[in-house]
Amino acid sequence: MAVIELNGLTKTYGGARGVTDLSFTVEEGEIFGFIGPNGAGKSTTIRTMLGLIYPTSGSARIFGKDCIEHGPEIKKEIGYLPSEVFYYDNMRVKDLLNYSASFYKKDCAGRIKALAERMELDLTKKIDDLSLGNKKKVGIVQGLLHSPKLIILDEPTSGLDPLMQQRFFELLEEENKRGATILFSSHILSEVQRLCNRVAIIKEGRLMALEKMSELKENTYKRFKLQPAGQVAPGAFAIPGVTEWKQEDGEVSFLYKGNINEITRRIAELDLRNMWVEEPDLEEIFMHYYVKGA
Amino acid sequence: MNLFRREMKASRKSLLIWIVGIIAMVAGGMGKYAGMAESGDSMNELMADLPKTLQAVFGVADLDISTPIGYYGVLFLYLLLMAAVHASMLGANILSKEERDKTSEFLLAKPISRDRLLTAKLLAGLVHLIVFNAAMWASSVLVVGQYAAEGESVAAPIAELMLGMLLVQFVFLSAGFAVAGAGGRPKRAVAISAGVMLLTFLLSVAVEVSGSIDFLRFLSPFQYADAAEVIESGLGLGFVLTGVAIAALCLFAAFVGYRRRDIQV
Repeated sequence: MAVIELNGLTKTYGGARGVTDLSFTVEEGEIFGFIGPNGAGKSTTIRTMLGLIYPTSGSARIFGKDCIEHGPEIKKEIGYLPSEVFYYDNMRVKDLLNYSASFYKKDCAGRIKALAERMELDLTKKIDDLSLGNKKKVGIVQGLLHSPKLIILDEPTSGLDPLMQQRFFELLEEENKRGATILFSSHILSEVQRLCNRVAIIKEGRLMALEKMSELKENTYKRFKLQPAGQVAPGAFAIPGVTEWKQEDGEVSFLYKGNINEITRRIAELDLRNMWVEEPDLEEIFMHYYVKGA
Repeated sequence: MNLFRREMKASRKSLLIWIVGIIAMVAGGMGKYAGMAESGDSMNELMADLPKTLQAVFGVADLDISTPIGYYGVLFLYLLLMAAVHASMLGANILSKEERDKTSEFLLAKPISRDRLLTAKLLAGLVHLIVFNAAMWASSVLVVGQYAAEGESVAAPIAELMLGMLLVQFVFLSAGFAVAGAGGRPKRAVAISAGVMLLTFLLSVAVEVSGSIDFLRFLSPFQYADAAEVIESGLGLGFVLTGVAIAALCLFAAFVGYRRRDIQV
């Protein structure tokens, strides 16, 4: 079952910000990465899904229901962590979490305690006095306390130290095992790489790519680095799928996408001193999408 | 209900400060009467000698300030202004603060409709108005009663004045609500709402001074509760109906506008 369906979602503001004709689906039980640089339209998309802003055209459906029409109903099962965490300043952490829980018709006291312990969050502090990282923790607990079926995270890790980030990811994996679907927006690719099943890459409001993480990492691209004994003829690797060709200091490097036999046949014709074949990290792939689109 | 409760709790302190201010204004203002009452009619004569414009500005034109209730009528203009400031700022602030403090992203991600959010805020605002008005009422009756002569009833005219004040409060609260709800500039909503209120106050003064633009009286809620008139003959039905109609229109605009527009985050 599709938990999130975006159909030609378009949101234009007066200026250049916004999203254009965005369509993708997130299936139940997925951890879905939503990546793009700052200002690409990630938050705009999320805010449209939450009904904070209205689409110019197209639609967003969650749990099969329209986001605008059935907003309050679907939001019962959504946990949301905004990118910037601002909460009523003169409240204590405990008060805020209870206030947050009071919107859901279930008892969340146990969950609040357990989550706060897990994230080492002091419930008695005033929110005003908290550091950025601790505010983020309040946001995390606030987003998870009602055991939502869909968790939407907008740049969730900024401000968290590595240990807490680790713990937060474990928490997310547990929620996912429990059955929750997770939409994880980020511009930090390594974290998406570790958690997500699929990713959508968005740039300047448009969907650049939508791929399975496994395919993106394993099947699609390889980074080749060769150290030939002699010169490599300029046209030796002029086949489709080779990109970012570089030749310097007697080394040749490039990205390759396609049939692996094709490329090994070419390499076999060379007299090599050394050779490396690497999985490119997502960053590289991402930059690749970037450059292509520019 | 949680939203309503939260709203009441959040503004408890400011409401308390307003109430202290009310008591100080009423007691302090009427305190001056004690000294003046001794000079008897001479004060009335002095006031009558003032140019018509100044009389209008001070609101003493048609009031007998040698009586406690007449004197209170002069003071009432300032109390009314105080109530208007409170109501117009409250109406705009109670709604726009969520966007200004960026808490709307938290609040509207919860399973509540915008109508419900607005209804809860409106109810909280109305309760504030009523508490404000009750404090004004009680302190006025108590303080003015101190100066009243034996057998002179001040409770009835004060009751009428307070109902008038409530009407004015309601209009300005609704106007503030409309500015914050339908307008696209939550950061400036309070300033705009207060600005509109001050404009209608200036209009009210202009109406008093000129004496020839009476048809504009309906545009300024301050005229709905003109002390001299209300003490003399009670609230005008036309003003009450106009006030309620304007408030209803403002609230309608607030609900429809807020339902349709993008929340600023």
